[in-house]
Amino acid sequence: MAAAAASRLLRRALTPAVARRRFSTAAVAAETPPSPLPSATGEEDAGMVSMKGVRISGRPLYLDMQATTPVDPRVLDAMLPFYLSRFGNPHSRTHLYGWESESAVEAARASVAALVAADPKEIFFTSGATESNNISVKGLMRFHRARKRHVVTTQTEHKCVLDSCRHLQQEGFEVTYLPVRPDGLVDLDHLADAIRPDTGLVSVMAVNNEIGVVQPLEEIGRLCREKGAVFHTDAAQALGKIPIDVEKMGIGLMSLSGHKIYGPKGVGALYVRRRPRVRIEPQMNGGGQERGIRSGTVPTPLVVGMGAACEIAMKEMDYDSRRISALQERLLNGIRAKLDGVVVNGSLEHRYPGNLNLSFAFVEGESLLMGLKEVAVSSGSACTSASLEPSYVLRALGVDEDMAHTSIRFGIGRFTTEAEIDKAIELTVRQVEKLREMSPLYEMVKEGIDIKSIQWAQH
Amino acid sequence: MAMATAPSRAEVLSLLRSFLQAARKFSDYNIREYAARRAIDGFRGNKALSDPSAIAAAFADGMSQLEVAKRQAAVYSSYAPKTKSVMEVKMSPPERYD
Repeated sequence: MAAAAASRLLRRALTPAVARRRFSTAAVAAETPPSPLPSATGEEDAGMVSMKGVRISGRPLYLDMQATTPVDPRVLDAMLPFYLSRFGNPHSRTHLYGWESESAVEAARASVAALVAADPKEIFFTSGATESNNISVKGLMRFHRARKRHVVTTQTEHKCVLDSCRHLQQEGFEVTYLPVRPDGLVDLDHLADAIRPDTGLVSVMAVNNEIGVVQPLEEIGRLCREKGAVFHTDAAQALGKIPIDVEKMGIGLMSLSGHKIYGPKGVGALYVRRRPRVRIEPQMNGGGQERGIRSGTVPTPLVVGMGAACEIAMKEMDYDSRRISALQERLLNGIRAKLDGVVVNGSLEHRYPGNLNLSFAFVEGESLLMGLKEVAVSSGSACTSASLEPSYVLRALGVDEDMAHTSIRFGIGRFTTEAEIDKAIELTVRQVEKLREMSPLYEMVKEGIDIKSIQWAQH
Repeated sequence: MAMATAPSRAEVLSLLRSFLQAARKFSDYNIREYAARRAIDGFRGNKALSDPSAIAAAFADGMSQLEVAKRQAAVYSSYAPKTKSVMEVKMSPPERYD
């Protein structure tokens, strides 16, 4: 009896997505009250969205998880009470509002620490990974300005690390920007050679936001420990996605971000090792909150959200990672089955599966993106500059300029469905084929002409 | 504290059914699909549990997650955008460049 009910239940739940979708859309249409909010996205009539000269039939499917991730409903559920009745300042020592707020902040701190195998006393909340990177790079070097004058980092770091290093150069420090191999990984021998006795900091990001490459953190940590330099890693894209252990990886400083792990925007954390003690100069002065490392009222709802996101990530890491790997394979195989001239930027083995950066030969990047308006993806250059300059990360990999221009970054996440992957494949293939059909360069290649040997006539 | 008794098979199935009902109420396409899929995978993953206290703990966890799902489905519906996801639009018309 129960077995029949179980199988009926599972069969109904596992009916093809289309059938289920029809039912669920009808149910939602019947139940959802009309939205009272003013529309911020241009005209929205009859379900069409019109913005910046493009009309699409619905909200695009979201495949840009490296830019940001949607807030998990479980995280929102944890945050809401702190916007409603428990709105106290965690630094108010004299009443219940302050005590309950502080208690929530400390619980969140413990959750973040648990995810990286650290002690809660080593976690400090900031406004995001950018701030944590700034504190790590500038704060550490300025504290040790008497004896440590050199920083080693890579050419593929996030802009905030590179910019902080440039700032330090203006203050008189020396910085070595290590090149990376064509697969995006840092060469450990070059790194060992670059570290000097007066090197204070080695900064190598754990997972690259543009190409998804995972650096050999344990080896780098070991090298830094041997040579007496502090190892800082920007783990914004890595937290909750690959296992991080600050002991095994010899990490001295680490930047973490809330909105990359299905948490709220505007919050991040900084890990600062206590044994052996890493000393840094605070960059935000004020009332001495967060043990003087970062002054300013700790934003309880955001911090609670980050803590909840870390707790969920700890439980879901295996499940999500298996699913996302399968989806990445599906995406790559689906595109490769229909298109040639597809290049994966960055190492395929040392990669976080949720980040797939592809270049399509003989296709112009901006026109490809213009045709993919029903898929929310990012191109190589968009993150870092307003100009049309190809991404510095791809340039560091040695990717040709024309291939760098056509790079698309697909970001797969916890909430991505197979149907979305299939639709993304269909739309990408259709657009690339359309553009290649129009491309005279592609015609020449098909005829066997080597593009690089062409002498272009001057008019 | 008394050890919780393990729930019966009917109670577990009823909890799963409630989960799937709650999942259907989400107005957001991605959350809706995730909630249903995660519930089924979660229950399937716990099917092999034999220790009664572990089963009871998983059931209690499921009950509290169900409450979260119900609350959030209401929140998401209150703020649902007018436009649905392209995945829910049955026949997407070809794009126009105006």
